[in-house]
Amino acid sequence: MTASDKDKKKSPIMDDREIEQYLRGIKPQVKDDPLFLLEASNRMMAVEGIKGEVDRQRRSGQVALVIALVVGLLVGGTISAIILLYPQGTISLQGKVLADMSQIPQWWKYLFFALTPIFAIILGLVLSSPGKKVIG
Amino acid sequence: MENVRVEQEPLRRFLLALCCGDASWADDLAQDALLRAYVASGSFLGLSKFRTWLFRIAYNCYVDDLRKRKGKGGQEVGLEDPSARTLPSSSEADGSFRYQQLYMALEKLPEKERACISMHYFEDLPLRDIASVLQMPLGTVKYNLSVGRTHLKEYLTL
Repeated sequence: MTASDKDKKKSPIMDDREIEQYLRGIKPQVKDDPLFLLEASNRMMAVEGIKGEVDRQRRSGQVALVIALVVGLLVGGTISAIILLYPQGTISLQGKVLADMSQIPQWWKYLFFALTPIFAIILGLVLSSPGKKVIG
Repeated sequence: MENVRVEQEPLRRFLLALCCGDASWADDLAQDALLRAYVASGSFLGLSKFRTWLFRIAYNCYVDDLRKRKGKGGQEVGLEDPSARTLPSSSEADGSFRYQQLYMALEKLPEKERACISMHYFEDLPLRDIASVLQMPLGTVKYNLSVGRTHLKEYLTL
């Protein structure tokens, strides 16, 4: 028995080709588990439900944002129109309500016009922002 | 779902090799990977093969989980004794011993080498795809395969 024969006996896997053959011949075997697919499918369905709920919330937020913007524009437009049509000074001639409005101090008008868009924007942001994080 | 049915076996086999024969850990990771893939399915643009993409997710799941386990234990993860793990039911005693030997040898390999060996020899993935999964250059994959083979030779013959 030569020295190389002795080595071969001591270590059954000698060269790259042999180890490659060994590895290709001993692929790990996975159990055929029908529960695995069932569980995977259940999880995916659960995720689908969560996705649907998140989408629904996002859509309702977008609708609310659009409504808030439209309301803001309408209110702003109406008030702008009133101011343009009835400038200060002539307002006292236009009936009781407009006469009462003329009593409101000048600064209140600016405050109102500043607050209206701010509230509209805040409302839009609050309604459109995502709620709780569903998935961590 | 059809993709899942087709890919679940290679995915589970890849993870089983990564987890050194721990079938329940591998299956948990496979479930996690499938779920992540499903959630992120919109981001799959078809630029790579679906299997490559799925394996990348699975490998990331494995690395994340390994990191978590390391963090919990505060030390290197001590995988269970491979001899105590569930072995393929179809294998006879002789076959089981071969698998035990393989898993014990794989366990001693660094994770990158183990991943390269698993994908190349057990899943027959081309080197380019392995590089894509592991996000490393082609040369590094070849190096890891070569070193992994040398290590395996050493561990399997001892």
